[in-house]
Amino acid sequence: MQSTHTNEPAIRIEGLVKRYGDQVAVDGLDLCVEEGSFFGFLGPNGAGKTTTVSVLTTLTRPDAGHVHVLGRDVTRERAAVRRDLGVVFQEPSLDRELTAREHLDLQARFYRLSDRRRRVVDALARVGLAADADRPVRGFSGGMKRRLEIARGMLHEPRVLFLDEPTLGLDVTSRAAVWEHLRALRAGGRTTVFLTTHSMEEAETLCERVGIVDRGRLVVEGKPAELVADLGGDVVLLGLGDGAGAAAREAVTKVDGVRDVRVDADGRLRVTISEGSRRLAALLDAARPWSVEDVELHRPDLEHVFLHHTGHPFEPDRLGENGNGR
Amino acid sequence: MNGFVTDTGAILRREWLRYRRDRAYWVGQIAFPLVAVAFIGFGLNDVVQLPTGTDYLGHLASGMLALIVGSAGVGGGMTLIQDRDSGFLRALLVAPVSGGAVVVGKILARVAASLALVALLVALLAGFTPLRLVDPGAVVLGVVSITVVFVSLGVVLGAFLRSAESYRLIAAMVTVPLYFLSGIFYPVATLPAPTRWLASANPLTYGVDLLRYGLLGVSEMPVGRSTVFLCVLTAACAVAAVAAFERSAEA
Repeated sequence: MQSTHTNEPAIRIEGLVKRYGDQVAVDGLDLCVEEGSFFGFLGPNGAGKTTTVSVLTTLTRPDAGHVHVLGRDVTRERAAVRRDLGVVFQEPSLDRELTAREHLDLQARFYRLSDRRRRVVDALARVGLAADADRPVRGFSGGMKRRLEIARGMLHEPRVLFLDEPTLGLDVTSRAAVWEHLRALRAGGRTTVFLTTHSMEEAETLCERVGIVDRGRLVVEGKPAELVADLGGDVVLLGLGDGAGAAAREAVTKVDGVRDVRVDADGRLRVTISEGSRRLAALLDAARPWSVEDVELHRPDLEHVFLHHTGHPFEPDRLGENGNGR
Repeated sequence: MNGFVTDTGAILRREWLRYRRDRAYWVGQIAFPLVAVAFIGFGLNDVVQLPTGTDYLGHLASGMLALIVGSAGVGGGMTLIQDRDSGFLRALLVAPVSGGAVVVGKILARVAASLALVALLVALLAGFTPLRLVDPGAVVLGVVSITVVFVSLGVVLGAFLRSAESYRLIAAMVTVPLYFLSGIFYPVATLPAPTRWLASANPLTYGVDLLRYGLLGVSEMPVGRSTVFLCVLTAACAVAAVAAFERSAEA
């Protein structure tokens, strides 16, 4: 598991452009993902996420730009790139007539895995499919199929694993099960994971870093907490019995992490503060002399980050979220 | 090269697992020629006199085997479209497996299935027709060449056509004339001049003739010439199928 190029990121995309007819799916995308990180590629449907994954996994040739995975060019060194990849597609990619075990056995043969039988059994157990190992996939539920796809994508311990909307169309229980596997994978820390999602919650819950993509371009990239913090922090609304006078404002401003204090239309103090939940007690202490009557803590999330950087709200396509894929 | 063999073996195994489970396929492929030979063969046996002097029953039985092998080959090509529809093809394409291994694996799986089918059908047909294993080598080459040519044709069509419906339609448009102009139902020599020329340009004619030679000991064409021609054609079709598949895999 040694990196072939020590300073080379796991994924390097420079000026990627991909068009389908008149439609520009990816429009000059630049992105780097460090080896070993768990990266979330977050954007609304149609933002260009799946196209980017198709290029990264050698399935689609870019119209312009340079794309490297583990230091190898995805258009010129396809075979070498494929050996180090694992891919879990957004849409099913299973043979309905084969059993779960046969799928993994085939994968093990493609990647020349030693001790094939044991690794297949272990992988099936890890995703909770041991009891269904010899049933044809045709009888599997959506969640079971997705878990099998994840087991297949990870079987050969790829250096880079692509997960394209891994929980799209799953019910809450199945989604929780998939998240559990992905958390375990992140804890392992050896595999670079590139996960696309249009779920803010998924990106915030699972990913160490996220890149927000909109209309085929990278809008912003960073750790979810930092991206949110860069907005200026949390907002605390304080209703004071004695009114939000200049003295109260001054006392509150002195609290650590406070960036901005205003009086809102309802006469409440509107305090912008970084790490608001941790500093809420200090803030309340400072405001106590003016009798605090009510408190509201508003925590901005990636949705606010998206809105801030793109100027328009993030509107996941509800149809897509219900899973209309085959 | 070693890797190619391993990958081809893995693909072959997967295709074979699919065929083995498809009971309707086996029942249909076994029942159809038996019924056709029994109903049409016996009906026409005393009516039709062949210039080769053989029984019509034997002629039709050997021809039906070629027909079954050909249609099985077209079905083998269609698995490419089925794999694309199910999404399984994408999983194959991101794996470190060459397009050549995928196509050759598919072809070999159909060859294995068709050889098994023909062996079984010959055993059954030998009970009530003059079919015998006169020249096993000729039978094998006949089955292999017809299978490779038809699977390759299917792969080429499958590489360009996106739906199973259009595949079935176009495949039928292409193959039905080939069947009728190949000596399956009647000897090529009995055809009028222009259609006879078309029949001699039809590769299936040589496959049918070689298969018939292997099962009845009679042939319309020189066996050596058919053998060389079919070997060259088989290789060319496989190469064309691999090229078409690899082209279609580039998006």
